[in-house]
This record gives sequence, C-alpha cells and structure tokens, in this order.
Amino acid sequence: MKLANHPQLDALSGEYIIGTLRGAARRRFERALREEPAAAARLRYWEGIVAPRYSKMIEAKPSMNVWRRLERELGLARYRMPWHQRAGFWKGLAAAATAALVLALAVPFLAPRPSEPQVFQIAQLTGKDSAVQVVAHLSKDGRTLVLHAARPVIAGPAQSYELWLIPAEGGNPLSLAVLGTLDAQLQVPQAHVSRLRRGAKLAVSTEPAGGSPTGAPTGPVILTGEIST
Amino acid sequence: MLDDQEVRKLLLRTAARDEGAGEAFQRLYELCAPLLLGIAQRILRRRELAEEALHDAFARIWKATERYDPFATQPVAWMATIVRNRAIDIRASHDVSRVDSYQDSGDDPEGSLDRLFDWTENTEEGEDRRRAAQWLRDCLSRLEGAERQALVLSYDRGLSHGELAKHLGKPLGTVKTWVRRGMQNMRACLESCMEVVR
Repeated sequence: MKLANHPQLDALSGEYIIGTLRGAARRRFERALREEPAAAARLRYWEGIVAPRYSKMIEAKPSMNVWRRLERELGLARYRMPWHQRAGFWKGLAAAATAALVLALAVPFLAPRPSEPQVFQIAQLTGKDSAVQVVAHLSKDGRTLVLHAARPVIAGPAQSYELWLIPAEGGNPLSLAVLGTLDAQLQVPQAHVSRLRRGAKLAVSTEPAGGSPTGAPTGPVILTGEIST
Repeated sequence: MLDDQEVRKLLLRTAARDEGAGEAFQRLYELCAPLLLGIAQRILRRRELAEEALHDAFARIWKATERYDPFATQPVAWMATIVRNRAIDIRASHDVSRVDSYQDSGDDPEGSLDRLFDWTENTEEGEDRRRAAQWLRDCLSRLEGAERQALVLSYDRGLSHGELAKHLGKPLGTVKTWVRRGMQNMRACLESCMEVVR
C-alpha cells in the first residue's frame, strides 16, 4: 500500500516528528518519503505546524574540531573563492591566511650588496604575524624592486615565496618573482613596470618550491600592502 | 533567534556548489551549530556524543542541500529534524540512559517546555508562523498531563517508547497509548484551530 493513502499517515508523521518512530519503521517511512511526494508533502505540512522556535537557552558552543573535521572531510576548500577575489579581502587580510613562515635564525648579511640602486619606499607589507614586516622600495627608474624584511625570513625546503602585483585597475594577480627569502632585490618584468604605481598592491603568498604551479596564487597569503607613492 | 529567510538563502547558496558555496556553508554552520548542538545535547547528554551528532548532521545537510526544496520546508525545522534523528540513532547505540536521570524535565513538563521553546511573540515572523506557534502552545496545554509529558519527553529527550515507560514507571502499553492519544488530540486540536481560520 502506498504510504500516501495510509490511514495512519498523520500518526506516522507525528511519531516521526517527535522521534518515537524508530529503527526499521523509521527507515521505511523515510524511504516512502523519498518515493512518494504526496506523503512527503503531508509530513512537511505537519512539520510546518509543529515547528516550535527553540529557546536560545539550549544553545551550546561546539568546539572548533567539529568544523575543522567537516571542512576536511567534505573538501570545502574546493568550494571557496580564490582569496584574491574575495570581497573585502584587501581591506582586512583574510584571517585564514596563516603565516606559514619559517623564521630563520639570524642570517648575517656580511657583505654589502653590490651597486645598491637609489631607491625610495613605496609600500609596507604586513600580515597576521606582526613579527613579519617587509618594506618595499623601488628604484627611480621603476625597474628594480628591493624588499627588506624586519627580521630575516627564509622559505622552508619545500616552499617558496611568491611576490604578486595586483594592478590598481583590478584583475588577477601578476607574478613578479619567486623568492627564497624576503630580503631580495629583483628586476621588475618590463611589462609590469608601469603597473607598479599608487593604488596597486603587493602581496606575498607561500607556494610550493619553485613557485605557484598554476600561475595564480595557490597558498596562503602572508603579506599584503598597498603602494602609497 | 534564527531567521528562516537567512538560513534558506544560505542553504541555496550552499546547494549551488560554486565558489561561494564553502563560504555559505560555513556561515550556515556558524549560525545554526549552537542550536543544533543544544538539541543533540538534550538527547545525548554527553558532549562528545552530541558533537558527533552535530558533525554527522552537517555532513548530511551538506549533501542534502542539493535536493533541498526551498519552498517546501521551514529550514531550521528541517535541520533540527536531521540532527535529532542522528542523535536518536547515536543514543540507541550508546548506553546513554544510565547516566541520564531526566530530572530537570520529566517531573516538570511545563517548565521544560518554556526552557526548550521560545514562545514569545516575534514580530519579524510572518503571521502564519506566529499563529502556528500559538496553536501549538494552546493545544499542548489542553492535553492531559500524562499525554503532554509523554510527547514532550519523546521530543525533547529523544526517548523511545521503552525508555519512556521505564522512566515514567508505567507499562509499555500505557505509555504507547499516551503517545498515540496525545498525538491524535494534538492533531484534532490543531486542525480545529485551522478550521476557524478558514
């Protein structure tokens, strides 16, 4: 007999809602709900009426582990917008960006760098880890970018840092360089020289050794900063 | 108070399985997990089991959103049913009842009702919803004490007929009758409320 025509349909729905319909009986009922829209509609009708608002007093805060496990098991990362497209990201630097930094023991720079160009500061890059701060300088001709880290920061063996330029007019991040350390001097690719201007942003992400495999940032963003001059 | 509209929107965004789906599902979790954990805890009494039920329920909700019909169900009630069913299953496979005395609810179903549910008028809700909540409360209060107690304990604590009988110290047949009669009376009462409106 179809459940939808069952004289006890209302009673079964009621028992289902309050929870006394158990075991095999409940599974049978649920299977029928899937197969018989009329029966499902009847249950929803009752659910609509017997749906008290729960009191806030019964609420409890779950531990973080529950969410972490769900996120991992359901593979939620696949259903997230890439960080650089997320609204408001650049204002607050997403909290998700974990500073996957290896703070190296002091690496002394013994020798002065050869032929330091004349540079001026264009941006300060900061992240979640306040110990890590990088100041970006640009040469007068706009061709040489110099990064200075407040403390020496060196990538771990399986990772690289990648420096990105987010143009002032928007669009995808452009890769400027793959770095092993955040103290670096680099030549700005010719095509990007004119884009290093006020309103554009610089960002550093952690990538697999050798840089992003996709050409777009894949790892956590550890530093960002807007070009101010 | 959980807003059905907001929850429905998040369920639909989750169902889209696009780049915003992860975000929407997380927001849904943040919004609803405390309530759903509370419901599971009333049934399971043990924190770790309740969190297990919460986890399983959200995994199921994630999958079920693809089939979720936004016009059919009150989404919070729908989610509550999922977590309750899971909690009841977990309860059946663990010996929860031994550490559970129910003293705070069984002997005082009226007080328990008010702790469990929020009966205050909510002006943001639709007229239908408000009316239904009022009917529910009225009809519950018109039941006989034993029937009401049996229904509330089943709903709130997830007790089976057998557990109910043990807890109330009554024969299984008596308890089953209370549940069945209580539900028949609730149904008759709710339908007569609806008749008046029509």
